[in-house]
Amino acid sequence: MTQTLTRRRGATSVPLARRTGPRGADVRAGYTFLLPWLLGFIVLTVGPMLSSLYLSFTNYNLFEAPKWIGFDNYVNLFSDDRFLQSVQVTLSYVVFGTPLKLAAALAVALLLNNATRGQGFYRSAFYAPSLIGASVSIAIVWKAMFGDNGPVDQGLSFFGINLGGWVGNPNMTMPMMILLTVWQFGAPMVIFLAGLKQIPTELYEAASMDGAGRVRKFVNITFPMLSPVVFFNLLLETIHAFQIFASAYIISNGEGGPAGSTLFYTLYLYLRGFSDFRMGYASAMAWLLVIVVGIITLLFFRTSKSWVHYSGDSR
Amino acid sequence: MISRRNFLTTVAVGTVSAAALAACGQSPSQQGSAQNPVTLNYTWWGNDDRAERTRKAIDLFQSKNPDIKINGNFTDFAGYWQKRATEAAGGGLPDVMQWDLSYLRDYAQRNQLLDLGTVKINLDGFDKTLLPSGQVRGKTYGIPTSTNAFAVYYDPAKLKEIGVAEPTGKWSYAEYKKWLGDVGAKSGGKYFGGADFTGVWWQFNIWLRQKNIQAFTDEGKLGFSKDNLKEWWSLASDLRGTPAIIPPDRATQLKPKSAFGANAAASESTWDNFMAAYLKDSGAKELKLVPVPSDDQGNLGLFLKPSMLMVASAKTKYKEAAARFIDFMVNDPEVGNIFKTSRGVPASKTQREGTTFEGADKAVVDYEKSIEKYLKDAPQPPIVGFGTLEAAFLRTSEDLNYGKLTIDGAVDQWFKEAEDVIKQNA
Amino acid sequence: MTTTKRETMSSPTAPALAEGQDNPKEYNPKADSRSAKRLRAVVFNVVALALVGVVLYPAVWMVASSLKPNSEIIGNPALWSENFSLDNFVTAMDGIGGVSTAQFFTNSIILAVGAVIGTVLSASVSAYAFARINFPGRNLFFGMMIATLLLPFHVVIIPQYIIFQQLGLVNTYVPLLIGKFLAADAFFVFLMVQFMRNLPRDLDEAARIDGAGHFRIFGSIMLPLMKPALISSSIFAFIWSWNDFLGPLLYLNSPEMYPLPLALRLFVDQTQSSDYGAMIAMSVLALLPVLLFFLIFQRYIVEGVSTQGLKG
Repeated sequence: MTQTLTRRRGATSVPLARRTGPRGADVRAGYTFLLPWLLGFIVLTVGPMLSSLYLSFTNYNLFEAPKWIGFDNYVNLFSDDRFLQSVQVTLSYVVFGTPLKLAAALAVALLLNNATRGQGFYRSAFYAPSLIGASVSIAIVWKAMFGDNGPVDQGLSFFGINLGGWVGNPNMTMPMMILLTVWQFGAPMVIFLAGLKQIPTELYEAASMDGAGRVRKFVNITFPMLSPVVFFNLLLETIHAFQIFASAYIISNGEGGPAGSTLFYTLYLYLRGFSDFRMGYASAMAWLLVIVVGIITLLFFRTSKSWVHYSGDSR
Repeated sequence: MISRRNFLTTVAVGTVSAAALAACGQSPSQQGSAQNPVTLNYTWWGNDDRAERTRKAIDLFQSKNPDIKINGNFTDFAGYWQKRATEAAGGGLPDVMQWDLSYLRDYAQRNQLLDLGTVKINLDGFDKTLLPSGQVRGKTYGIPTSTNAFAVYYDPAKLKEIGVAEPTGKWSYAEYKKWLGDVGAKSGGKYFGGADFTGVWWQFNIWLRQKNIQAFTDEGKLGFSKDNLKEWWSLASDLRGTPAIIPPDRATQLKPKSAFGANAAASESTWDNFMAAYLKDSGAKELKLVPVPSDDQGNLGLFLKPSMLMVASAKTKYKEAAARFIDFMVNDPEVGNIFKTSRGVPASKTQREGTTFEGADKAVVDYEKSIEKYLKDAPQPPIVGFGTLEAAFLRTSEDLNYGKLTIDGAVDQWFKEAEDVIKQNA
Repeated sequence: MTTTKRETMSSPTAPALAEGQDNPKEYNPKADSRSAKRLRAVVFNVVALALVGVVLYPAVWMVASSLKPNSEIIGNPALWSENFSLDNFVTAMDGIGGVSTAQFFTNSIILAVGAVIGTVLSASVSAYAFARINFPGRNLFFGMMIATLLLPFHVVIIPQYIIFQQLGLVNTYVPLLIGKFLAADAFFVFLMVQFMRNLPRDLDEAARIDGAGHFRIFGSIMLPLMKPALISSSIFAFIWSWNDFLGPLLYLNSPEMYPLPLALRLFVDQTQSSDYGAMIAMSVLALLPVLLFFLIFQRYIVEGVSTQGLKG
């Protein structure tokens, strides 16, 4: 991800062609090579997006022609208790799950970065959950582990904490889902680790000369130097978290229960569209999600100026 | 393991058959022959057990009708309706489908289902009061395969174990509630009395019938008031949180089994065709059925409902073949012997009388016989969007059990949803 | 969306990584005595191993449970049992509703292999256009491609479904694979663009002077050089396809065509045969190829993640 972006900033990737200007053969070849993507982009992305934008202003049940109803779907969303609940569920998942996951990733990355030997092994071991975490299998296992008398319940009982099964308790399902995402801290951790390796040793040497302790080194060197990676992880993980589906679907039998506590945004969208046949309503939800994700992305970039330090910047 | 050769063959076959299917779409031959049979797509919902039985029935049909090939598919109930909706949108419903009363009006009114009055299906063996439940606006869209009736199941062995007398089935709601409480109290935590019966739409519907209230008016509006629903949900308010009914967190974790099937409760009220499933789930030797309570013993509010219907797609190219398959599934005695009561008690007399019922199957048939004199007309297909409402009913009652909603709040929430659905589909 | 695009492109993250270089360690002026160093290593390993234990516990529990009889899975936290057997796997291999688990496996493999072929072909070709050819509109399209990386795909599933439905392609693998052949997964295009941009330009310049066209440059120069990127793309395309749930859930109707994740769900939904042990055994089977892949290719995978920022 990182390399080219740096290079593009320096505008070094285009100059050769710039000088000569596009040749006819290049234009033809360019579009020929781009054809698969372009076709997919138009047919599978742009077309469907426009079509769902249109549908979001209609009442469409899949059977009869869509009926134009203006902004009704968007307005009705905000008086729909279940919609509001799905927003609340998703937000608490994003707001608690993502930072916790990244904090775990960073902490373990810092720990591993000090390792002289065995780093490769640990890195792989911690990464493994990221590969399987979103699968149906793991959702099934999670559900079993957090059920009545499952290993989690029994482990906690051993310490005198009797919560019972988490799966059936609306107050505990969110912590359970958050643990599932935190468990997959390996992917951001590996990226952090790669970032840590890039920090020049001289910086630490200089800081040590000034008598800086570990904490100060972290605050003044490690975090600023790592901030582009933190930013990258934060953005991707946040956007990712908004779209959780399979695990929520399996863990709640596709219902979002108990008591709506796992009614994630995408799950409600799916139920509204494909179970209640309210495609217009679901399209409005989808577009609202696009807008929210867009705004969040924008906000991230806006605020990033104050805390993300790029190596090329004069500080 | 899959060998490389096998794998390549599979890919090749897959590709070719996809192409062949596409080609089929272009030039359909309306009539099949043994050499060149027509293929009907048939889909149903259900579990492993039903899949096995259905495959047996399909094999039998194909051996008797070599000119027709049945391509069968199945899913679970919830996923089933999601699939049908999306297929219908593109005009691609399977030729023949197992159907539920709750969704009949949705699809019939939207011209998705074949008017079965236009094809040849033998209806001589059907009770005339049952057939209207497969009709919408005077046309027949669905043929009932079988009937089911609402009942309270209990496990006699569990009752004996904890020393509670078996119910007679002649009981008021007060007696029923006391009985549930007794079971919960005397079992010392081993079994709950039952599940929260007020969460089941159909029991509410029966309760309304006992009070001579229609659930839906002929115009497709709600026939009952908020007060009715409030009274219904209040019926169990003194039971929630007591051993009489299973707490929601336990029930949630047992899903997809029911509390009764998982041996966590000694009774459950639901449809009588769940017998085989409950026996298998719970491992119990014997389960018994009695009528649901009523405060008016002269009016139990009970009825025979088509437990499922057979329908065909309005767009099927093989109407005659579809009709033959439906006729076979509802009338053939051998089909009855394959399914027994797992679909409910066969609706057609020819099928019912040609089937031998033993053990648990006999108990179901006997139950339906025993309530014969109380039965009222089968219900009309409910309003469009009913499936959504039925699910919302269960969900709202679950929230009630979790204490997330007050009864008033629950009533308001459900009514809002109901009015919304009715408005949407008006 | 356009703003997002511009800013994404102008945001550099970490500088290039050179693999295999020494790990610069946090510098410590106080020279550690040998024993202090050893002590630190021991403490580190104890802490890290304990963490590994916690992190891998669910996976270990899953495997252990798949070998236990039903009665010992819940309510018995011990991982070891004297009654370990393969019975659950035998049951799981029977499959569901007349479809064998081997069939589900075959389906998953067909889909995953198709996804790999499609992704590698289409993404490499498209990436070549973005990275190596200069034509009007390129930067605009590149920006749009980046934007689709961040686009919640739920916004397209409903119309896409309607399109495939109208074409009569529901319940075929076409809707699940066509996107792969049309480079719809922007991540792979992006990854390959990144990789190609870092390849020296001299090679294709030289070939150009010799009169080679883009097709020859792509085929005989770029593709061989791109091997590492093609391998990590293949691995991820395989694993993502293998774990995909929503796509098959939407498009497949016949159990005979189900890949493993859907088959698993069907298994869970079978109210009357909720056999815990078999369910978990089947979960293990469904993950087996992914785990094997990981063991064999873990280097490629982890390196791929750390250099390309790929997500698992």
